[in-house]
Amino acid sequence: MWAHRCEVAVSGVGFSKVTRSAEIPLAAHALEAVKAAVEDSGLSMSDVDGLATYPELPATGHAVIDGVTIVSVNCMMAMLKLPNLSWHIQVETVNIGGAFQQAVNALLAGVCKYAVVWRAMHNPKGTYQNLPGTYAQGPAQFTAPYGFGGPGQGMAVAYTRWLETHGQSREKMATLAVTQRRHCHMNPHAYFHKQPLTREDYLSSRMVAYPFCLYDCDIPVQGAVAVVLTTAERARDLKPRPAYLAGYGQRLKFEVTGRIGSLSSYMDGGRSSSSLTWERSGFAPKDVDVAQIYDGFSASVIYGLESYGFCKEGEALDFIQNGRIELDGELPLNTFGGSLSTGRIHGLWHIIEGALQASGRAGERQVKDVNVSFVGASAPIVTGTTFIFVREPY
Amino acid sequence: MSDWSKVARPIPVPNEWTKPFWDSAKQGVLSLQRCQACRRFQHPPYPTCVNCMAIDLAFEPVSGKGAIYTYTIMYHAGDKRFAAAVPYASIIVELDDAPGALMAANLLDAPYTEAKVGRRVEVTFERLNDDITLPQFRLEGFGVRQSRGAMSEESA
Ligand SMILES: [Zn+2]
Repeated sequence: MWAHRCEVAVSGVGFSKVTRSAEIPLAAHALEAVKAAVEDSGLSMSDVDGLATYPELPATGHAVIDGVTIVSVNCMMAMLKLPNLSWHIQVETVNIGGAFQQAVNALLAGVCKYAVVWRAMHNPKGTYQNLPGTYAQGPAQFTAPYGFGGPGQGMAVAYTRWLETHGQSREKMATLAVTQRRHCHMNPHAYFHKQPLTREDYLSSRMVAYPFCLYDCDIPVQGAVAVVLTTAERARDLKPRPAYLAGYGQRLKFEVTGRIGSLSSYMDGGRSSSSLTWERSGFAPKDVDVAQIYDGFSASVIYGLESYGFCKEGEALDFIQNGRIELDGELPLNTFGGSLSTGRIHGLWHIIEGALQASGRAGERQVKDVNVSFVGASAPIVTGTTFIFVREPY
Repeated sequence: MSDWSKVARPIPVPNEWTKPFWDSAKQGVLSLQRCQACRRFQHPPYPTCVNCMAIDLAFEPVSGKGAIYTYTIMYHAGDKRFAAAVPYASIIVELDDAPGALMAANLLDAPYTEAKVGRRVEVTFERLNDDITLPQFRLEGFGVRQSRGAMSEESA
C-alpha cells in the first residue's frame, strides 16, 4: 500500500457555464470555474499557491490562442496575479489526470499548500475537426490518405474489433447512453441537463463512424471545471468535507505513434494504470461503491470496465445491463452524466464527481453509503489515469 | 460501392525514413520495415525496433495477403475531401507475413458491407500522382474473379 494514501484531499470544486460553442473567450470560463472552486473551499485567492493544467486543444486545424482557444498556466498566472504562488506545471503525456497527479505530488513534497487544477475546453464555431490538408506528413502519411481523420475513426476501429471478436452487438450500448443521460438530469451544470434521451433515440440515431452513432460521441462544448487540492490536514479545516485520495495510477504502456486499430493498446494502458491504483490503495474492484469512467466515446467505458478489472474481457456490454449502473445499482456509473451528457470537458469532471461522491456532496445524485469512489479519468489508450477517493481515511 | 473518383486524398509526404515504403509501392510492391536483428516486421515505421531495441532496420517485400483486423464505416461527411465516397470502409489489415503490424487502407472494389473482421484481403495499388502510389486492399481472389468474368463475357 501507498505510504501517502489519504494524505492529500480534494476540497472545493467549481464549474463554469457550458455553452455549445465559443461565445466568450475561454479564459473567462476558466476564471469562473477557478473562482468557484476556491470559493467552494472557503479560501481566498491569495491562499492559492499551486497551479496545474493540461491545456491541449483537441479541435484540429484551429489556431492555438492562449486565453481564447486554450488556457495555459501562464494565462492563469496573468489573470490571478497570485501573491503567494510557489509552484506550477503543465503536463503532456497523461492529460488532465497527469496534471492532477503532479499537484498531488507537489503537495506531498511540501512545495505548495493549496493547488488549483483546471481544464478548459474550447469549441470553435463551425467545423470542429478542420481537416483541409492536401498533404499528410509524419505518422499521418499512413492513415490520412485512407480517410482516417479525426479521433472518432481511430476509436471506432478498436470498437469494431472488440464487438466482432467477442460476438457482441452495439445496440446494448443504448443502456449506457440512456442511463448517463438520466443521471445528468440531476447535474445542473451538464450541457444536456433536462434534455431526455430514449433507447429509441439511440437506436435510430444517425451513424457517424460505425460502430459509433451520434450518441456514442460526446458533444464538443465550451466550458471549464476546476478543483482545489490540499493536504488532508489542511482540508479538514476547510468548508467542504474532504475527499481523500487513496491511490492513483497512470498508463505505463505506449504503442507506436500512428498505430491504430489496436485493442491491446487500450487494455494494456488501462490494466497498467489501474493495477497501480489498486495496489496503492489496497482496494479491489469489488470494494468500489461508485465509478466514473471516461466516456469521450462510449466504447472507452467498455475498455475501462474490462481493463480496470470490473468485469471480464468481452463482457462489459452485458455487465452494464439490468440496472447495475443506476444510482441504486451494484456499480453506479458516471453519476454526473459523463462526457456524453455534460459535454466534452475531458476527465477532470470525472475526477470531480468521484471526489463529490466520496465526500457525500453529490446532491440529488448522491449514491448511498459511498466510501470507495473510483475514477478512470481518460481513455486508457494514450492518456489513462485512474484514482480512488474515499470518505474515511484509513 | 463507394465512389472514390471524386475524393481528394491527402497526399503522403515521404520522409527520409519512410521513403523506401513509397518507392516500393510505386513499383507495385508492398514493402514493410523489418528489423534486421530479430526479423520482425513493424508498421507504421519507427526509428528503432520496438521488439528488440535494434536500430538496424530495412524495408523488405511482403506477400500482400492478409486479413481484415478491424474496420470502420465512415458515414460522417464532415471531412469534405472524402464526402463523395461516404459511406466507405476504412480498414486495418494484418498481413500474413507481418503479424502485429497493422496497416490502414480502404476496402476497394467491394461494397462497404463486405468489410468484416477476419475477411481475407490482398494488396492492390492506387496511383495518386507521378510520385505516390497508395497501397490499398480488396477481397482476396478479386483479381482472379475479374479476369475470369472478362473471359466468360468474351466467350458469350
Ligand atoms: Zn528487432
